[in-house]
Amino acid sequence: MENVRLTVSQFIDTLNQTLEYAYPVVEVEGEVASFKVNQGKYVFFDLKDEGGSVGCFMMAWQLRLPIEDGMKIIVTATPKLTPWGKFSLTVRALRPSGEGSLKKSFEILKAKLEKEGLFAVERKRPLPELPAHIAVISSTQAAGYADFVKILNDRWGGLRVEVAHVQVQGADAPDQMIRALHYFNSREILPEVIVMIRGGGSADDLSGFNDELLVREIASSRVPTLVGVGHEVDVSLADMAADVRAATPSNAAQLLLPDRSELIRRVRHSIAGLLPRIEQAAERQQTDIRRQIEQAATVISERHQQNVEKVGALRRLLAEYDPKRVLGRGYALVRGTIEPGGIIEVEKSDIVITAEVKNVGQK
Amino acid sequence: MSAKNSMTIAQKTDKLNEMIAWFNSDDFELEQALDKFTEAEKLAEEIEKDLQALKNHIEVVKEKFDRSI
Repeated sequence: MENVRLTVSQFIDTLNQTLEYAYPVVEVEGEVASFKVNQGKYVFFDLKDEGGSVGCFMMAWQLRLPIEDGMKIIVTATPKLTPWGKFSLTVRALRPSGEGSLKKSFEILKAKLEKEGLFAVERKRPLPELPAHIAVISSTQAAGYADFVKILNDRWGGLRVEVAHVQVQGADAPDQMIRALHYFNSREILPEVIVMIRGGGSADDLSGFNDELLVREIASSRVPTLVGVGHEVDVSLADMAADVRAATPSNAAQLLLPDRSELIRRVRHSIAGLLPRIEQAAERQQTDIRRQIEQAATVISERHQQNVEKVGALRRLLAEYDPKRVLGRGYALVRGTIEPGGIIEVEKSDIVITAEVKNVGQK
Repeated sequence: MSAKNSMTIAQKTDKLNEMIAWFNSDDFELEQALDKFTEAEKLAEEIEKDLQALKNHIEVVKEKFDRSI
């Protein structure tokens, strides 16, 4: 190369070819400085560490996570020498590095999307009560998927479950999940619900679920969404944009379907509750009959007593009219011809006297 | 297949709920209660069997998502 004379353009092209051959894609980690977006289309920033700094360029649409000066990030880029002799990295993708940057990026995007109303409660749709056709977006190799399927099969059956196998971790994960969402949302027969699940992992592992485009796609899904990512404590922007958030993949299955064992228990309990109802009704009827019999007996007894008393009174009255009782009190019965010279019979209680009438006069 | 057997679990559950409601309604009559109870018990057994027999059909779609559609 010592004697080769090149034009500036040739030199730049040769250098770029060499760079492309040696470093087709590099990952570079550093801190963001001088971040700016020109005309809403072009993103420029420097990536630096204690020992140096390199300029970076990317298109604004490629920027899937919000970044700002001071954040530590990892860029996936192609090194390039510009026609103006400036060395820069053409960035294809970037992701925050370290917990602090992840959190910062999360908070910035969260505030932005919140302001747009993507997480508003009014937007949330209820899940279908008992779906028969569900779509699942997950990695079929993931433990979270296995947990979900196990709980799903334990709880309910007869479902049509369509699964989109996607990466749920790494740089490609958001795009794959977006494609799967598109796929299910454009089916002729739409599923009744789309479930996105992934088991636990580090903040970096789960960062795909904080991708802006993915979050927007979830929020605009025609089909209601249920997102269960990580563990109870892990909250992603995808969770927040979904119609319903599940704490874990297992919890997603629990929220989605009733538990058949519980239903069987309830059915058995309902049936068991009928026998006491019948017994109660039979007892009540028995009590009613007994009371009616007792009432009838009381009425009969009362009527009998009344009649006994009535007969007694009549008998006493009758006795009052008995002539013998009158004669007993000293009175006498007189029979015969009541005229002077007539013969009369005077009957007393113990004797009968025959006598002649001497005189009859007015009192 | 009888009409009852061709019913879905949801339909059977609704029917069972109706039957149970009868026991708590003013229409309840002791004379009919035992027959109705036997019928409800049979229906409950059917629902239990149906629930236990249900299997999910899980299908991984052929579509590849690692490239643009």
